[in-house]
Amino acid sequence: MSDRIFDRETMLDLSVNFIPLGILLFFVLLFLVLAPFPGDPLIVLVQMSLVIIPGIALLMLTYYSGNAIEGSRDDEQAEPGYSEADAEVARSAGEE
Amino acid sequence: MAALVGAVFLAALGFVARVNGWWGRLPFVDRTRVATDGGHAHEPGSGLAHKPSGITRWLTTVDHKDIGILYGMYGVIAFLWGGVSVMIMRFELFTAAETYISPEMYNALLTSHGITMLFLFGTPIIAAFSNYFVPLLIDADDMAFPRINAIAFWLLPPAALLIWAGFFTIPLDIAISPAQTSWTMYTPLSVEQSNPGVDLMLLGLHLTGVSATMGAINFIATIFTERGDDVTWANLDIFSWTILTQSGLILFAFPLLGSALIMLLLDRNFATTFFAVEGGGPILWQHLFWFFGHPEVYILVLPMMGLVSWILPKFAGRKLFGFKFVVYSTLAIGVLSFGVWAHHMFGSGMDPRIRASFMATSLAIAIPSAVKTFNWITTLWNGKVRLTAPMLFCIGFVANFVIGGITGVFLASVPVNLILHETYYVVGHFHYIVMGMIAFAGFGAIYYWFPIVTGRMYNRKLAKGHFWLSMIGVNITFFAMLLAGYFGMPRRYATYSDFNPELAPLTEITFLHQVMTAGAVIIAVGTILWLLNVVWSWKKGGKVTDPDPWNTKEYGLHGREFAWFEQQLAATDGGETESESAVATDGGADGESVATDGGSEQA
Repeated sequence: MSDRIFDRETMLDLSVNFIPLGILLFFVLLFLVLAPFPGDPLIVLVQMSLVIIPGIALLMLTYYSGNAIEGSRDDEQAEPGYSEADAEVARSAGEE
Repeated sequence: MAALVGAVFLAALGFVARVNGWWGRLPFVDRTRVATDGGHAHEPGSGLAHKPSGITRWLTTVDHKDIGILYGMYGVIAFLWGGVSVMIMRFELFTAAETYISPEMYNALLTSHGITMLFLFGTPIIAAFSNYFVPLLIDADDMAFPRINAIAFWLLPPAALLIWAGFFTIPLDIAISPAQTSWTMYTPLSVEQSNPGVDLMLLGLHLTGVSATMGAINFIATIFTERGDDVTWANLDIFSWTILTQSGLILFAFPLLGSALIMLLLDRNFATTFFAVEGGGPILWQHLFWFFGHPEVYILVLPMMGLVSWILPKFAGRKLFGFKFVVYSTLAIGVLSFGVWAHHMFGSGMDPRIRASFMATSLAIAIPSAVKTFNWITTLWNGKVRLTAPMLFCIGFVANFVIGGITGVFLASVPVNLILHETYYVVGHFHYIVMGMIAFAGFGAIYYWFPIVTGRMYNRKLAKGHFWLSMIGVNITFFAMLLAGYFGMPRRYATYSDFNPELAPLTEITFLHQVMTAGAVIIAVGTILWLLNVVWSWKKGGKVTDPDPWNTKEYGLHGREFAWFEQQLAATDGGETESESAVATDGGADGESVATDGGSEQA
């Protein structure tokens, strides 16, 4: 078994949330580089927190939900929203 | 009013104190929760199969399906009042000057339309679908707390009576008039309006929040603990995922609204200064309100996205493309929705650096929304598309979301927002979302699940007429709003005859308002068709005897709820005649031999 937390396929699934994280990171860097207003530590703290905290929350939820979903993955189980019996009926009907 | 509120509170406290031994009635034995009778069907002869008949059944039911139907009825009544109120406003706006109603009545209707559609139609209609179908989709016997489920619903009728109270009291002439605060209830306006109708509305809103929170806790508990043995996080259906996310949002957003409403009531009645200039300031209200208000948008739209993600593949002949992308992007929207609230307040004078942060998160949240759109389009790609009424509404939903979503991305940009925020552009944008998406998905789901809920099929010609009238009407009405916004038409105005012609061209704006009114009439006609179709078909529509009315088995897409429906049909198969069976899945009275609402396959 791989030592990585998530396999390649899971990382591909999770990549959908890396894009907004990338946008948030871009703005954090932008705000650090471009700061045309006079420095005010409190304002800067609030400004950064408003971007960083949602980013961290998103990262944590992505990690835990990824763990929960991949941890319960079973190649034998039915598709989402379908029971085993119905999946079998549907499969056999589709094969006809 | 303060004395009245206090008296009601004391009376409620006294009533509770008089009920002896209430703790003994809770479903606990030795501190362990025991199974309650969820009200679902029991085996005949078990002694529990009986349900009271008539009105008693509906007043006492704790069956998740019955409560789902009650939510649906409630949502439809609210939708009709919301529609009537906006039609009155639209006829008034047909001409620039004051014509039929006073500006005060216009403001009251505006307030009632917004609050009714968001709190009394939007949230309950979603609860209708989720109550009925989430337990079926996750193979639960019922909701985790069936009685709390019933309580959550029964808080809503008094909430509606309180919210609409000002209209009921007009003929009584007792100095209680409808609230004129707009649905945002901005201070200081909402503090300074001495009308007791505002207090009644705030109390009603508070009840809706309590109801929604109880429902959300119930759904979280149900999805976490009541899933069937073969339902895991990996194969939980997409609708339940969106309901779970929505419930999480409600859990964090609605209690905050409740707190803010209490502060507003205290400011109004007990001279506190939460939102006074010398206290927290009016901007505090805006921050508290929109910290609730923006997640509320996703509370309404995420489940509808879940419905479309569930229904659209059935008529595309393919599984949903990128299922896990849709799940993870749903969760991403849930989290990020709490970080964007102040994009509703870019013009309020806050620090530009903080404004920039809200712009960043608002732009970031566009990505997971766009991901879903591409997933739906890719599901359709090379699919075997069948244009049934539910599918038409799903496709209309996607099309409207492209316009409604992209116009929203522009508004996330601070410089664009500052120009457009107080104009009809915003009204057009969010109506594409609320009517073009939320209502469309609701209609699609009603048609899709109509056979399960009623055992009958709707009239497909009326349904398609309903779709095309709605689609055309929505795009005429709300695209004209976007254009009026570009022309500088301010929103919330009861009249617009006094414009400076250099700032806002009256001729063009009057024409656009007339176009909006015409579009609204088209939507209204479509909605009347829908109402007639649903009522008539519920009573007289062809009985559905085929457990697979949408031919989803053919594509390997037969969902768990229709499998449950199959069991119900088998259990109640008590000698249908051949002739009855023949019309069962037709969906039309014209004798066409179509089993799936006439959805002809598109190559």
